[in-house]
Amino acid sequence: MAATFIFSEDAVLARQLLTPALALGQPVVALATDPAEAGRLAELGAGRVLLLKAAATSPEALAPAIAGLLAREQAGVVLVGGTSSGKHLAAHVAAVLKAGLTTDAKALALVDGKLETERILYAGLAVCTEVVTLPAVATIPQRTFLATAPAAQAGTVETLEVEADTRVSVLGVVPLESDGVDITAAVKLVSVGRGFGRKEDLALARELGGALKAELACTRGIAEDEHWLPIERYIGISGQTVKPELYLAVGLSGQVQHMVGCRESKVIVAINKDEQAPIFEAADYGIVGDLYTVLPLLTAALKN
Amino acid sequence: MPKLLVCYKWVLNEQDIKIRPDDLSLDTTRAKGKISDFDRNAIEEASLIVEQQGGTVDALSYGTPAVKQSVKDVLSRGPNRLLWVGDPSAEEADACVIANVLAAAVRKHGPYDLILCGEGSSDMFYQQIPARLAALLDLPCLTFVQKMTLEGSVLTAQRKLGDCTEQVSVTGPAVVSVLSEINKPRIPSLKQVLGAAKKPSEEIALASLGLGADDLAPRAVRKSPKGFLMNRKNVVYKESDAAANVARLVASLAAEGLR
Repeated sequence: MAATFIFSEDAVLARQLLTPALALGQPVVALATDPAEAGRLAELGAGRVLLLKAAATSPEALAPAIAGLLAREQAGVVLVGGTSSGKHLAAHVAAVLKAGLTTDAKALALVDGKLETERILYAGLAVCTEVVTLPAVATIPQRTFLATAPAAQAGTVETLEVEADTRVSVLGVVPLESDGVDITAAVKLVSVGRGFGRKEDLALARELGGALKAELACTRGIAEDEHWLPIERYIGISGQTVKPELYLAVGLSGQVQHMVGCRESKVIVAINKDEQAPIFEAADYGIVGDLYTVLPLLTAALKN
Repeated sequence: MPKLLVCYKWVLNEQDIKIRPDDLSLDTTRAKGKISDFDRNAIEEASLIVEQQGGTVDALSYGTPAVKQSVKDVLSRGPNRLLWVGDPSAEEADACVIANVLAAAVRKHGPYDLILCGEGSSDMFYQQIPARLAALLDLPCLTFVQKMTLEGSVLTAQRKLGDCTEQVSVTGPAVVSVLSEINKPRIPSLKQVLGAAKKPSEEIALASLGLGADDLAPRAVRKSPKGFLMNRKNVVYKESDAAANVARLVASLAAEGLR
């Protein structure tokens, strides 16, 4: 029987990949670059773990070696953690295997010898099923699946020397500016958009956040164009995906590229002066009005 | 003088797509075409490089016959020449097929010193073409680039990954995918629009690329897409009295247990 291979350079995501991999019902082979993680994946149910030893162990540098390995092993299904580096690796692997690849698969199943996956199209406007012939590759985003409990019998770990691709030199790595807040864990979020005219005006949203015990989130434009908030706080297709109890969107129009990152929130509230803004279609409750008037009133009312 | 290639996709504008309420199928009858958003950044970056240091930019696209509508728009954004493959097969093509077609076109019309792509297309957002293309052409690949400098044959770039940025460099030909923050795509001037009409544009017949049936067979077949249904309460308070609206919202939040 063809095996399901999994790989992620992110240890947490690698463990999450075991869940859909085991559910496919084929033998599971995990690839790892860290000895401790290799052992952990074997304990959690990977029947076989290949610990890759190389001069450079980034997914990008390992892509050609992993592609060659998967071709030799005649992999049936390959699941890769959907980080940026993971997506790069998965696309390289798929090209070498001449395989189909589902990007950001939300669900997967083997049906009649093919891999059926679900994903979004048009920045989240639509969802579709992709039917992928084997060998098939899929990338899976963080937190799509929960990690599994330890297996009754641990798998084996083999060490394998592989060659890294050194054509690209890494000159340095700088961690992203972070204020240490994980907005994906927040219960409530106040999210801000272009309706705010100046950075100082975000104080209105902060005060509302204080009254609600909510963290501050934003649109891509506020983080990447204006640099008013750290990049890790922006919600959307290329940013964070959140599922809070309350998502209170202020001065943001609700473009589909943004909403795909927050539409699984339990309750969505919109405050916008444009009654025609698409955010109202996506919201449970809304106020049509100028945020500069509404926010102070709302903050005061909530404090009462 | 560098010889650059920029790949782009002509896509439906997702803002124009409506969801039919009865069966959630997509109504694209009123959707106009556009150059995929991130590809505009790739076109801009390639054009900036040659405007600053000389050289040429070819633009390349594989799409349905509708891709022909993009000629003027693309050429007014800077590229010197356009190569396009307009074929009905693009309708069902997956990233595997798209990369095969683009790689075959590069083999025929290249080589290039640098191939630029957007991070992903605004319709399918596969995010696969740059790394697939690089693998097929045996070139190094720099994905998710937010800043880049080309000096002679040395490309230095800053990649944005999940929790860090990575400074990288590569010598010689490479494939690069750019993020939207790398630049602000120009709004073509009247002169650039008029100039576009004089630039060469060449249709490449798919049959001339020497691809076999296997190269053109999609591995991932899309089943009919369904619109994502927003199932929300849509209660909107829009009285002229802002305080009354706020009071109602606070009551709603309390009812949801969110106060």
